[in-house]
Amino acid sequence: MAGGGDPKWQKDAADQNFDYMFKLLIIGNSSVGKTSFLFRYADDSFTSAFVSTVGIDFKVKTVFRHDKRVKLQIWDTAGQERYRTITTAYYRGAMGFILMYDVTNEDSFNSVQDWVTQIKTYSWDNAQVILVGNKCDMEDQRVISFERGRQLADQLGVEFFETSAKENVNVKAVFERLVDIICDKMSESLDADPTLVGGGQKGQRLTDQPQGTPNANCNC
Amino acid sequence: MDFQNRNNTANKFVCPSDRQLALRAKLKAGWSSSKTSEPLRPEEQEAIISVIRRNEEIEIAERQRVGRLVERVEKIKQHAVERGPNCCRLCGDAFGLLRPHRIICEDCRQAVCTKCSVDINIRYHTSERTREIWLCRICSETREMWKKSGAWFFKGLPKYDMPRSASATPTPTVTTGPGPGSIAGDMRAVQSCHGTPTRAGRVKKLTIRVNDSSSSSSNGSASGHSEPEDELDGAAMGGKMRPLGKLQREDSFRLRAYGSIRNFIDGGERKLSQSFFFGRQQSQHQQQQQHRNSECMDYDNISVSNASTVAQLRRESSFLRRGSISSSWSISDSSGSGNSATQSQSQSQSQSQSQAQAMTGHSQQHCRDPLLGWLEISISYRESFHSLDCTMVRARDLPAMDSAGLADPYCMLNIITPEAHAKYTRWQRTKTVHKTRNPEFNETLQFVGVEPEELGNSLLYVALFDDDKYGHDFLGAAKVCLSTVHSTSQYRISVPLGAEDQYSNVAEMSQNWPNGKMLLSLCYNTKRRALVVDVKQCINLMAMDSNGSSDPFVKLQLKPDAHKNKKHKTSVKWRTLNPIYNEEFYFEASPHDLNKEMLILTVWDKDLGKSNDFLGSLQLGAQSKGERLQQWLDCIRLPDHFHEKWHCLAADNPTH
Repeated sequence: MAGGGDPKWQKDAADQNFDYMFKLLIIGNSSVGKTSFLFRYADDSFTSAFVSTVGIDFKVKTVFRHDKRVKLQIWDTAGQERYRTITTAYYRGAMGFILMYDVTNEDSFNSVQDWVTQIKTYSWDNAQVILVGNKCDMEDQRVISFERGRQLADQLGVEFFETSAKENVNVKAVFERLVDIICDKMSESLDADPTLVGGGQKGQRLTDQPQGTPNANCNC
Repeated sequence: MDFQNRNNTANKFVCPSDRQLALRAKLKAGWSSSKTSEPLRPEEQEAIISVIRRNEEIEIAERQRVGRLVERVEKIKQHAVERGPNCCRLCGDAFGLLRPHRIICEDCRQAVCTKCSVDINIRYHTSERTREIWLCRICSETREMWKKSGAWFFKGLPKYDMPRSASATPTPTVTTGPGPGSIAGDMRAVQSCHGTPTRAGRVKKLTIRVNDSSSSSSNGSASGHSEPEDELDGAAMGGKMRPLGKLQREDSFRLRAYGSIRNFIDGGERKLSQSFFFGRQQSQHQQQQQHRNSECMDYDNISVSNASTVAQLRRESSFLRRGSISSSWSISDSSGSGNSATQSQSQSQSQSQSQAQAMTGHSQQHCRDPLLGWLEISISYRESFHSLDCTMVRARDLPAMDSAGLADPYCMLNIITPEAHAKYTRWQRTKTVHKTRNPEFNETLQFVGVEPEELGNSLLYVALFDDDKYGHDFLGAAKVCLSTVHSTSQYRISVPLGAEDQYSNVAEMSQNWPNGKMLLSLCYNTKRRALVVDVKQCINLMAMDSNGSSDPFVKLQLKPDAHKNKKHKTSVKWRTLNPIYNEEFYFEASPHDLNKEMLILTVWDKDLGKSNDFLGSLQLGAQSKGERLQQWLDCIRLPDHFHEKWHCLAADNPTH
């Protein structure tokens, strides 16, 4: 998939002119449209032909958001179970997850809870998640209403979008929103816990709750 | 790959935790429930490997990028002056009323000036919250580094390659063989791929790796993408320890450097306060011992002392540092102002005061004056010649005197007797070192006729001035107690420079100004948009006429004049060397123009029948130095006020 010879991604991948680098992961059941979603966003292309992703793939796109250049490395994972061992290995580096289901596929929606469990198991705990119901252009085959999707997202405490990679609905919005959420998380984490930055504890394993007084270890 | 097979050799793998097993059981979609998996086909393996290689290239570039970020912050940290609570930790500028405003950094809680701090407005894009904070440049850059490197997310810096090591592989070429040696961890899986001859073998290794890390996620060693995991979980790994250890080393080094700077200051402080109260040798004896130690400490990078003394000095320094926290530096001390009549009295007063203070370890007197820099001196006494050799080694961080932020410093030296008089009428002077705030003088000046018993209660007084055609501006002064100088060895010391006192005035007065002085008052009149020059008076002008007097008048002109003002001149004051004019002249100019223009004043002796004789000149403008520059800038900065100052007249005629 996404041949290594593609000049576009190479240009984007080699581009060192950016401020932040976010790694995002798209997960969800097989054939919900993860690869199409990524191709729509990264290359603005779409094909109805279904080619199952082999294991894992990624694309790089640099976006300009809030006066910052953000380089996104977006990982597209195979939904098939046989690749699960490979895909879960990449959860750990991801700052954001796009959890996708297919509004025309009840199974894919029912699996969302399982995928959330996967995220909780393998990712960093401050990773951000957005729930996405894809293929919203196929109204006639829809089995999951927008309301059900929204309720599930509320339950999980994540944001929710309905998208269409085919019609290019909300694709960009999902990524932009995820970037915003991660940016905020970034400001928040540094703001709330300056000890992180303050030398001293570099390289150590830090618990989520800062220990001791905020500036005890700051000798920068 | 085959899970059945894997179960047979399960003892090779770490057993997943109960929680993980429970979670997997819940996950019907998980692999624990699937037994139908078939091994990856060769083309699948190839596709995955190509993705992993692409990722590697990005990872290498990313490590180098993070390395550059780290290096940038480390550089800023290295340049920090860390001079103490009264000065900006970065640039070292002292805080004060007319000086930079003091700001406390939100992160490190240290004092910085406005120039070296950043006003950060934290905006949250998904809500309306905002927060404004001030950070010093180090902390703001560190925050930036944490953001840009992703360290904020992984709660620790990810792996990075410092630019030096990165330069060896400017364009990462993964396909040509094993990557650079510094890259460990996630690269290992793929490196081993390159090493193995058959593709099947490669993939076998690779998939085992992947299995490994996914089945025991908390024990992650190597997968294509797990570098933060390595950072935290696998911190003991060799590749990891390198940058980590380095950081810690650097930190401890900085700490030590900071300690020695503080010690430096404290040593200087003691030296100085001691030098003021040269009456009490016995009580000082112990202190002097400390001084010498702390002083050694200051130079321990110059002359490497043996380890045991260093260790001892460390202890000493920690003691000194503690003492200094409550006492800020008493540099200028009691003699900052006042004439010499009251001086000796106040001195004896403070002498008894200080004796009590010395017992408690530090003086209570807080210094309002900023630090004017440092002077490094080496003194030796040759008893046979009764000569005191004072070597001015160097000075550091002197005040800037011109618009370029530079100075042309030189030293004036004399010995102050116990009666608080200058011993020699002629002050010794070093050569001028031009265009620097950190001059290397390396000049030895000799005082001959210094009796050994004099040393015990005399001071060496050094005043630094800025050399300029139109007057010598005071830069700083230092006093060194000579009681510690011995004939046997060279006595090397670094002293902080303090503010003007009566001795520096004496030193300044001792300098020859044959052309006399002029009192000038400047004002920028905003209503008339003009510079008002009030020539008040002159003193000690040269005598040009045969009657031992002159008939002086002053010519004024502005150059280069944007408004074509005409030249002005004052009236002639007949037969006087100290004329009083009090005459005002207007030069039309915008404040902006004044930044480029120069006011030229020349004093002439009016002669009838022959050409006028030149008596002296003065130039004021943005290109001036010291007091002249200050008066000029004050005049622009605070318009509609008169700014009055005495200036020396120079012997050369700028209009020629």
